[in-house]
Amino acid sequence: MKQKVSVNTLGALPTKMKRKRDCWFLYTIPALIIYIWFMAFPLFNSMRLSLYTGSGFVPSHFVGLKNYVDLFTNPFFRDRLVGAIIHTGILFAICMGIQNTLGLAFANILSGSLKGSSIYRTIIFLPATLSILVTGFLWRLILNPNWGAVNQVLAMLGMTRFSNYPWLGDPKVAMIIVGLVTAWQWVGIPTMIFLAGFQGIPEDLYEAANIDGASRRQVFWKIKAPLLIPVVGLVSILTFVGNFNSFDNVFALENPNGAPDYSTDIMGTLFYRIGIAGQNPIGEPNMGVGASIATVIFFILLTGVTFWMISQNRNNKKFE
Amino acid sequence: MKKVRLVVFLLVLISLISIAATSTGFGADKVTLTIGSWRVDDVESIGKVLAAFTQKYPNIQIKFNPTNPPDYNAVLRTQLTGGSGPDLMYLRSFKISADLFKDGFIAPLTDMTALKQNYTEGNLSPWTNDKGVIYGLPFMAVSHGIYYNSNLFKKYKINVPTTWQQLIIAAKKLKAAGIIPFANGSKEQWDMNEIVFMNLLPDFIGGRSSRLEYETGKVPFNDAKMVAAFQAIKDIAPYLPAGQEGVSYYDAQQLFLLGKAAMFFGGSWDVAIFEKAAPDFEWGVFATPASVGRKTVVCFHPDCGIGINKTSKFQKEARLFLEWLTTKQAAQILADEIPGFYPLSKTGAALKIKSAHASQFLAISNGKETDLRFDWPVLMDAPQGKTDGYNLTQNAALAVAKGAMTPKQAADFVQDGLEQWYAPTQHFKK
Repeated sequence: MKQKVSVNTLGALPTKMKRKRDCWFLYTIPALIIYIWFMAFPLFNSMRLSLYTGSGFVPSHFVGLKNYVDLFTNPFFRDRLVGAIIHTGILFAICMGIQNTLGLAFANILSGSLKGSSIYRTIIFLPATLSILVTGFLWRLILNPNWGAVNQVLAMLGMTRFSNYPWLGDPKVAMIIVGLVTAWQWVGIPTMIFLAGFQGIPEDLYEAANIDGASRRQVFWKIKAPLLIPVVGLVSILTFVGNFNSFDNVFALENPNGAPDYSTDIMGTLFYRIGIAGQNPIGEPNMGVGASIATVIFFILLTGVTFWMISQNRNNKKFE
Repeated sequence: MKKVRLVVFLLVLISLISIAATSTGFGADKVTLTIGSWRVDDVESIGKVLAAFTQKYPNIQIKFNPTNPPDYNAVLRTQLTGGSGPDLMYLRSFKISADLFKDGFIAPLTDMTALKQNYTEGNLSPWTNDKGVIYGLPFMAVSHGIYYNSNLFKKYKINVPTTWQQLIIAAKKLKAAGIIPFANGSKEQWDMNEIVFMNLLPDFIGGRSSRLEYETGKVPFNDAKMVAAFQAIKDIAPYLPAGQEGVSYYDAQQLFLLGKAAMFFGGSWDVAIFEKAAPDFEWGVFATPASVGRKTVVCFHPDCGIGINKTSKFQKEARLFLEWLTTKQAAQILADEIPGFYPLSKTGAALKIKSAHASQFLAISNGKETDLRFDWPVLMDAPQGKTDGYNLTQNAALAVAKGAMTPKQAADFVQDGLEQWYAPTQHFKK
């Protein structure tokens, strides 16, 4: 009702005020300049770079779409790209299935009247405050085939098959292990976000449910879960973006080659290896193909984010 | 207005002072050069070498500024491209530095007479381009062999093996006694190639003349000798630590130093690390032995050169440093302070080295032929989008070590990969 009034009175405004009203965009200029200079320009420049080739860091020779043709048809790049997409997918599946599910469960428990919940909260969040280089080193020790704690415990439990098992050296399991360590490290983040989400649910809904005699399970499924769906979407998209940009977890646990046998090669390591560092030991980067990998990553992320925004919009409309 | 005038006055004053200071003022002749390197472990010892230089040339200070080894090539290139490269830099052998020179980042040194006088052509070759232009001073070389725990050898009555067959028998004996025969693993991938496969390869294919037969296309890379070399990886595979795929280079060193493993395929650069760790057992080194009936050839590699940044402001001082490095005095300090790295100058070859282990390592090649690492001279020069020889032999050796390929398949894999781009061997294509 209010809005309608203001629209109707607009025409009656004096010209001075009108000008003031039209000048709003002036206030966005500083932000716009910073955004264009630091975000949009580098983004488009990197896309432009993917159309060039040349040695070192200054690709100077225009080749059109040749880098993309190479990337998708030359088996040298294609096999790695397909592998990287699959491995990043595995990482995403583990982070969604384990990290975020656990995060939701932890948040649900912590939001209740649990004794010492702040201690648990700190413990759950602690790994996220450490550098992955530190935790990666610790996990490499824990998973070491010769003196690692994991193998010693498994051997003690009678599983001698695993007494010297190379968790990080077996292509069949390495990616899963890297995914699990990543999930362990970051589980605190979704926990905190979900916790905030739970705390945002109005108390009176619980009260009403209590009065109606709803069970705990009913409260979760009928009240908490539906109201938390936007937060679930947010966490999913953050995980998605994070996984497709991650590099440090594999770097800390394995190496930028995605050892063993490229089985932990994800988008981040592939880009680093081809675009920035070059494959050991030559160390000569191919900036053009590197930029085209970055562009592919960008479009994968763009698809994911667009998908999320559409569903978000639909959700919002439903609530209106 | 008064304020503005004051500010202008002060600015003029400051700039005048600074101009005066740089042109005539204090410390006019004292310069500090930086040297880029991948030898993170050498900070302390190279400091002594550089101090000896400053003692002779008090006006020139050199700062050692190393980068994490696997990142060095990329970091150096980034710095050079951005114009912030060090004045002097360690140069990898062959292709990697050749590319930097081709791109105009390294100053040519052909007119430095001390280089040709003090170094053999063979030792200069890793830093000489195909037109004969020298752009790097051959700084240091490393050798390859097998470290062994003398106490364990004595305890199980094992003599130092002189043939490959004896080595495998010794390994069998050790394993039966519950000792890990070889400490090496392959978690980091490069270790299986650089310090195991490159190490034993010359024993199975022969020295320089045999390597040239492969390089010129006389024989294919999957001939019987190459298959035999991959067979050697298969021979030692059962005697690597359990779960070797998860054993990193550092883990392997520790297994040896803890006395859990009796032998370690390694390079002379490990000497300094092992000496510093000072394990409570006697240790030594022997040449990786060849099969019965073949001559043992030691893998001795000119690993590191030094070059001058073309855009450095201190060309004269940098050249003075390189010229000093060619002297006998410098060679002696280098050999003593950085045990396991051997000076490449003619005078350096006959030096007595302070570290007994380092000089023992050098002595294993006495009376034997030596050759450099097989992959280095030409096989790394793959065009963009093709797999270079280093990664081919690495992946093949890794696959054999874990039983994913037979030795024959591994050799075929290398040949097939090289046929993709290495012209001299392409006529073997079926």
